[in-house]
Amino acid sequence: MIENKALQISDLKHKYNPNDFILNSVNFSIDEGEIVSLLGASGSGKTTLLRLIAGLEVLKYGSIEIEGVTVANKKKLIPPNKRNVGLVVQERVLFPHLNVLKNVIFGIKAKKKEKINRGMELLELFRVNQYKNSYPSQLSSGEQQRVAIARAIAPKPKILLMDEPYGSLDKELREELRLETKKILKENKITCMIVTHDIGDAEALSDRIMKIENGKIQEY
Amino acid sequence: MLKKMLPNFKSEYFWKLIPVLFFIIFISPVFFILSSLFSEYSENWNHLYNYVLINYISNSLILIIGVGILVSIIGVLTSWLVTSFNFKGKKIFEWALILPLSVPPYILAYTYTSLFDSTGSLNHFINNLFETNNDQTFFPNIRNVYGAIIVFSFTLYPYVYLISRVAFINYSKSIIESGRVLGLNRTQAFFKLSIPLIRPALIAGLALVIMETLSDFGAVEHFAIETFTTGIFRTWYGLYDLKTAMQLASFLLIFISIFLFIERASRNKMSYTTENSLYKKSEIETLTGFKSALAFMACFSPIFMGFLLPVAELINWSINYKLDFFNHQFLKISTTSILLALVTAFLCSIFSLIINYSIRYQNNKFLSLLSSSLTLGYAIPGLILAVGIVQLLTFFDSIEFSNSLNLVLTGSIFGLIFAYIIKSYALSSSTLESSFQRISFKIDDVSKTLGNAGWMMLFKVHIPLIKTGFLTSVLLVISEVIKELPATLILRPFNFDTLAVSAYIYASEERMFEAAAPSMAIVLIGLIPIYFLSKIIKESRPGVNL
Repeated sequence: MIENKALQISDLKHKYNPNDFILNSVNFSIDEGEIVSLLGASGSGKTTLLRLIAGLEVLKYGSIEIEGVTVANKKKLIPPNKRNVGLVVQERVLFPHLNVLKNVIFGIKAKKKEKINRGMELLELFRVNQYKNSYPSQLSSGEQQRVAIARAIAPKPKILLMDEPYGSLDKELREELRLETKKILKENKITCMIVTHDIGDAEALSDRIMKIENGKIQEY
Repeated sequence: MLKKMLPNFKSEYFWKLIPVLFFIIFISPVFFILSSLFSEYSENWNHLYNYVLINYISNSLILIIGVGILVSIIGVLTSWLVTSFNFKGKKIFEWALILPLSVPPYILAYTYTSLFDSTGSLNHFINNLFETNNDQTFFPNIRNVYGAIIVFSFTLYPYVYLISRVAFINYSKSIIESGRVLGLNRTQAFFKLSIPLIRPALIAGLALVIMETLSDFGAVEHFAIETFTTGIFRTWYGLYDLKTAMQLASFLLIFISIFLFIERASRNKMSYTTENSLYKKSEIETLTGFKSALAFMACFSPIFMGFLLPVAELINWSINYKLDFFNHQFLKISTTSILLALVTAFLCSIFSLIINYSIRYQNNKFLSLLSSSLTLGYAIPGLILAVGIVQLLTFFDSIEFSNSLNLVLTGSIFGLIFAYIIKSYALSSSTLESSFQRISFKIDDVSKTLGNAGWMMLFKVHIPLIKTGFLTSVLLVISEVIKELPATLILRPFNFDTLAVSAYIYASEERMFEAAAPSMAIVLIGLIPIYFLSKIIKESRPGVNL
């Protein structure tokens, strides 16, 4: 029996301009529970790859499978809301009209009581439970990023996608957060793909590092 | 598999189809109007062509040339003064100069005739003041095309003022400094540099004013000036010839489209004035003494003529009528108008919300182009829109489907609301568009990956974030609907009066004191957008973001 990979990318290509593939014949996979970083310079296509996996861009060439299910290929496109992936981006885009707890439980599909229990559990895990009734604007940048990660993993995604998650944080906070995040991801066996240009983030967080150059993926 | 794909299919296509559907519905009245050009031309058309069409064209040309010159002088001068100099009252003038926008041209026309006629309040006042013979007339006859030029200019100049002010704020002051160093004095720099720099803005503002002038019905009708709009109305209601009225309307529509094109093209060129914008506080010169008094007078005069004087006359009417207008009839008309405006404003804002959301959701250039075409509805004169809608509704009533449902749309409130929505869509859409632009697209990405796309994202994320914009849109549409006269006159159901219609009827019967209450109510409600515009003006004040 072949074990399902958490993520399988096969022969993926993508272009914004005709004849100019930003991603060219991308092939890789990620095992369940594995944390993989993808390093690359600005404009190398790493964010595009993440958006294709999340379903935020339309895939035209190749295929993407999540836990053995094809979510995108030439004929099929499962929209982002049905893929069950988590997304954390560099900008702290918490919903400004919702308090911390409501932000975290936003994506959970369950009864209200279960949602709140799960939300509180995550807030405790990320040590922000004291801010459950606060609004995003009342939090520091580190606290906001903790809440953003908690929100992304709250619906138990099949894979967590992080795009430069610590890009806007200062050095000390960055080091503290990446250690904390890795511990939580590992303890909860969450598969994660991080795209970053920072080798420090990649080394501290991941089990494996890949590099993207000229639209192609290489093991680092 | 198909079942699994169906929700996606529905959702994707729904958001794509919505703007297309609205576009078809919005464009259909115009289609009906323009199609009349290809139908047979009747005897009435020949009569109009031989005897009165030339009057319509010449009066319209005199009007737009006169109004164009006067609004350019008032709008550019006042905007230049408030952006380039400090003088007494400047901070008040910055927003007070837009107050005349709250007075529709037809109300200004009613008050001016009552003020300046030989038996008018001002003649009476001056006669009393100088104890002269009461027969003495101090003002020339205002009920002519020149009077109309004055009326339109003092109520429409804020369009030029607003747009020129932004251009004056945004162009680089160093260009003027360079000109001064190269030997130009202040006046030469104004005419050789400032004016050419703001020219695209000025042309865009002027085109708007001209479109409003050509579209007006109430003021020209009160002054008995033969223009396209009065011609269309008389052909339809006097000669009972809808087809000829539509053919006339088609020509006016083509005429207006030219100015619409000029306005859009000039707006695109306006961007160059916003580049390299640099504001230095020290560059604003403080005027004192005589110069300050002159600047004060230049800014005060248009406010006086376009707002204070008509409002004073409306108060005068009200007092003369012993404030007896708060009767059952007035309350009934006010309630009807406000309810109608409220329903329209909500519907229009909901449509704008759905269209703007679908464009954001699909991020599609074609859909965005469609939405921008929908905003052109503001340029269609109310009278023409009414003619087109009547034709459209008659067509619907004639088809078998409506007959089977026993549906009669012609003469119903539906046509009126439809016309209001087309006219006000631009206002509502621009308000909501700017609210949507303030929300990061990353928020959408996160919401989608958390399982909330489509309607769910709209209700759970966007609506809570743009609710202030939505409310603003509702208020702006209310004030627009309350003012609207020509479409209301034609499309209102039998025995259904609004404030604008009531003011029109009283004024046309020269029962001015009775026209005071509805007119005053219209002006008061018209102050709503002034409040929002004044907030924008304060925020855009030079140096505020430094």
